[in-house]
Amino acid sequence: MPSVQTIGSRSRRFDAMDKACGRERFASDEYPEGMLWAGALRAGVPHGVIRGMDTARAKAMPGVVAVLTAEDVPGENRQGFIHWDMPVLCGDKVRHAGDAVALVVAETREVLSEALASIILDIESLPVVDGLDAALAPDAPRVHDLETGNILKEATLRKGDACEALTHCAVIVEETFFTPQQAHCFLETENGTARMDEDGTLHMTVSTQAPFRDRFEIGRALGLPPNRLHLTAPYLGGGFGGKDGATVQCLLALAAMHAGGRPVKMWWSREESLLAGYKRHAARMHFRLGAEADGTLTALVCDLDYDTGAYAHLGVEIMALGLEHASGPYRVEHLEANGRCVYTNNPVAGAFRGFGVAQVCFAFEGVMDRLAAKLDMDPLELRAKNALRPGDRNGVGVGMISSTGMKECLAGLRGHPFWQSRDQWVREAPPLTRRGVGIAAVHNGMGYGRGLADSAVAKVRLTEEGRFRVYNSVSDMGQGNSPTFVQMACEILQQDESLMELVQPDTERSHPSGSSSAGRTTYTYGNALIKACEAMRDKLLHRAAMVLMVDDASVLELVPGAVRHAVTGQELPLAALVGMLHPDDRFCIGEAMMPVTQDVPEGGEAFRLGFPHLIFPYAAHLARVEVDELTGNVSVSDYVAFTDGGRVLNPQNFEQQVQGAVAQGLGYALWEDCFAEGGRLLTTDLSNYVIPGAGDLPDIESHAVETEEQSGPFGMKGIGEVGMNGPLPAVASALLRMGLPMTRAPFTPERILAAFDGDNS
Amino acid sequence: MNVLFPATVEAALEALCAEPDAHVMAGGTDLLVRCRAEQNRPETLVCLEKVADLAGFEISDGRIRIGAATSMTAVLENAAVRERLPLLHGAAKVFASPLVRNMATLGGNVCTASPAADMLPPLYALGAEVELRSLSGVRTMPVNDFIVGPGQMALAPGELLSAIIIPIPEGRTIQYFEKVGRRKALAISVVSLAALLRVEDGVIAEARLAWGSVGPMVIRCPEAEALLKGRSLTLGALREAGEKVRDTVSPISDVRASAEYRRQVAANLLLRLAQISGAH
Amino acid sequence: MIISFVLDGEARTLEVDGGARAVDILRESCGVTAPKEGCGTGECGACTVLVDGVPRLSCLMLAAQLDGRAVITAQGLASDGPHPVQEALADLGGVQCGYCTPGIAVTAAEFLERHPDPTREEIREALSGNLCRCTGYHKIVDAVEDAAKRLGSGCGRDE
Repeated sequence: MPSVQTIGSRSRRFDAMDKACGRERFASDEYPEGMLWAGALRAGVPHGVIRGMDTARAKAMPGVVAVLTAEDVPGENRQGFIHWDMPVLCGDKVRHAGDAVALVVAETREVLSEALASIILDIESLPVVDGLDAALAPDAPRVHDLETGNILKEATLRKGDACEALTHCAVIVEETFFTPQQAHCFLETENGTARMDEDGTLHMTVSTQAPFRDRFEIGRALGLPPNRLHLTAPYLGGGFGGKDGATVQCLLALAAMHAGGRPVKMWWSREESLLAGYKRHAARMHFRLGAEADGTLTALVCDLDYDTGAYAHLGVEIMALGLEHASGPYRVEHLEANGRCVYTNNPVAGAFRGFGVAQVCFAFEGVMDRLAAKLDMDPLELRAKNALRPGDRNGVGVGMISSTGMKECLAGLRGHPFWQSRDQWVREAPPLTRRGVGIAAVHNGMGYGRGLADSAVAKVRLTEEGRFRVYNSVSDMGQGNSPTFVQMACEILQQDESLMELVQPDTERSHPSGSSSAGRTTYTYGNALIKACEAMRDKLLHRAAMVLMVDDASVLELVPGAVRHAVTGQELPLAALVGMLHPDDRFCIGEAMMPVTQDVPEGGEAFRLGFPHLIFPYAAHLARVEVDELTGNVSVSDYVAFTDGGRVLNPQNFEQQVQGAVAQGLGYALWEDCFAEGGRLLTTDLSNYVIPGAGDLPDIESHAVETEEQSGPFGMKGIGEVGMNGPLPAVASALLRMGLPMTRAPFTPERILAAFDGDNS
Repeated sequence: MNVLFPATVEAALEALCAEPDAHVMAGGTDLLVRCRAEQNRPETLVCLEKVADLAGFEISDGRIRIGAATSMTAVLENAAVRERLPLLHGAAKVFASPLVRNMATLGGNVCTASPAADMLPPLYALGAEVELRSLSGVRTMPVNDFIVGPGQMALAPGELLSAIIIPIPEGRTIQYFEKVGRRKALAISVVSLAALLRVEDGVIAEARLAWGSVGPMVIRCPEAEALLKGRSLTLGALREAGEKVRDTVSPISDVRASAEYRRQVAANLLLRLAQISGAH
Repeated sequence: MIISFVLDGEARTLEVDGGARAVDILRESCGVTAPKEGCGTGECGACTVLVDGVPRLSCLMLAAQLDGRAVITAQGLASDGPHPVQEALADLGGVQCGYCTPGIAVTAAEFLERHPDPTREEIREALSGNLCRCTGYHKIVDAVEDAAKRLGSGCGRDE
């Protein structure tokens, strides 16, 4: 029996069954007839000057269609979409081991790999800038030719006078924290197919988070008009930020330009993905936090250094979010946040769920725990005392005029049995085991922030069969924005999901709606879709009124598959009604833009784009943690998250986002680290880059703290990111309480054992 | 690539004689990963999966003979192994993942001859022998003589590892295996300990201890074994034995852990034995 | 060489390089893309298929090894309608990006045949060779638990 899938109900995702049955086709599942394979030769050297490249053998190899180098790149040969500093193919200099230096197009994968191996590359190595210290040394070799040395951007945000205020504080805590580079490790590695038409139009199917914006990035890099680039983005096999910005796109487009009209496929191996794909910025964070004797936070001075690797990507914007979130979800009167975004010869750092924020949460929650210890205060009560409330100004002075549920999240934890029973649980630790219960309070700005027009254009169509088709135009990388769009359309159009169709982003069929990022996808497109669906509903009721000869459309209502007269029960099937509509008249479009704040702190003008934010989801997390005294192994026995994401549209999807983010956050806390020596990556595959498996994680309990986000679709706000930020500080908090003051993530058994040694108890 | 599927051991041996450069493939879970990493493809593979008499268990005369091509899943699920060789069972339990265990074989793991091979420390501690077949006959030798170096075995040309023969320990024993890895499943061993203790009247009558991943090959520590002999199983005795272990092992530092960590944990793991036996 | 095998119930005969990987033959030559490649080294389990009923990693199998075998992918598992495990994965939120899901579905389906009433710990152990980067596994475990109930209560496909 058909049922209307309503907002707020726990329901199966629209996309789930095809995926479970292996029927869904991802970009990597495309093998077009007659296709060629493209692959890149990687520098293999982290820093060097290209002296020569001998491609003669590769070119002569049977089955090789093209061997391309920097000379063959027709445009600016620069990738990036805010900062354009990354060559498609390096011609003179290589800046990290994963830099692409040549591109081969071949008939088969075997020929491709032989041809790539046959290219003789002559690179003169330069001294390697292997991290922040090396990059910031006075005589450091320069990764780029900048007057500022290796500093891509330096900025300071100021509210009040934090340095002066610190001198009056009753108590000050100070610590330096380090976080590693983290790899996204989406299971579907970077890939796509491309074919150039006779008329010069380039058709591409890519696993990408930003198909609309990709047109401009590819166009600029390769000198192609963006309107001749046609991209489709099927469901992604994961993204998490790592497919926000060109991965295969420019290389693939270049390959297609030399393929004589044949389709070309490029699919990075896992090893190539780890080497050449984007990563989360490693960071070093020095924090000084001052408070009054009663725990009221007064002043924070912090210095944040972000290692952006060889190229800028979104490094500056990521650092901006780090500075913006440096004081946590708390009232802090005085702030001085200094940031530097620094080039090194490490893999390129870029967007990753918790964009710049996941790093600072470790630091600010770390100093909160140390402050609680110093004041002998309960760590939860210290947080609750200082938590942002509606109407407060946050760390950078933005007024909290939107939903602000931080205190409520903490209240949830306070009442939870795991918090209530924490001392007993610790006491009952088995032999050779230490136990601790830790908490963290976190937030994460939603949307692009000021200056980037966070907008979406939604389209819904009544098909010839009388069904509704939603044209999603923000990639669905698994977060479930697009099934939620179906749910919204069902709600407004009063349809059963069996009457709905869903199209994934296609630059020729749907309208630009920005990237799948920043917790914005459901919010921004959802607001646009509500308008489109309401317009469609009104249109259909009015047209039906004409057919049914009623004077007042308000007596009509949409029911599954039909328009119905509420009084007489007379029904007009949509399949019949559609025939009355001219084909050009069968769709509706809605547009929406996220509100921004004009409250900008001193120094904030340094960030023209993406700073600051107005709307924040909040979360309070708890971790019950055990440490094995013989091996230093850390395991998380239980995990609880309270999350304020505004109204919950589908509890199942909400929990998925929380649990998935917590899992990645626990990976960040305990295992994940792109480990490099002298710029050479040692974590080359999934046997040594460790992401958690089913046996490594606990059940993750998720509770929604529902607030009403007035500006959001059905009162929601995006929670894709905030859950990522809690686990690292929550686990650190638990470890601190068992006498292990960890300042460097991940908390490997080795670091834990070393901390035992520093602990005389 | 030429892939051969002999149906009998004889046919496999003949294929190896005919193609001296051929690689032997059992489960392929190690070989094919290495081929990928090294970007080489052997000309000829002799695949053992259809050789019927290379897989299975024979229990007789106080020993268990396990065919070299027996899958790790079969080893894990075998009742005799579980009951009589809990040490081997314990290692099989944490071997890679269920999917890999369905493909990987016991003989294949032995033939990686890697210090990190999960099954080797138990086989050393149990005093296992390998059975080697060639067209000229069968010979056996202790597993610790078979492995002559990292990745190197005392395997003559044309010879095939056909079985692993494990004596069933007599009397009441404590058998304990622990692998320290970076995660629960699919972990490459950072340190592993296989311990077999025969305890009589509360006193250790015999201790056999073997560590993985703390040297170029599996490491036994006769000094620690001798120290434990004749003592009761206490934390104090185990700590003293641990000191000997620290001096004996010769680990390296790699992406998974430092040498110092491995040294420390190799000794620490002994302390678990007190917990296992309920001693203090 | 020429290999013959049964793929999702359909007999196939094709000429392959014996050294080609099974996963590539299934996806490219046979057009069955349910087995996914996530690592190529047996770490992620996305390429899992049932070979003569046993879950195996098709990235670590040669095409030649398929000869004479019966292969079932997640698509074949659903050939008479979704398997209860697939239903449960979809219903209980065990699917997000969905890339690991086909491998998890076949692994779990075979596991439940041998363990009709598993604990959550047993399910986690059974799925420990299938990595998922989206869900944190919680809902996947929920789904396999639920599928066991569906199978046990006679809601399975044999009814």
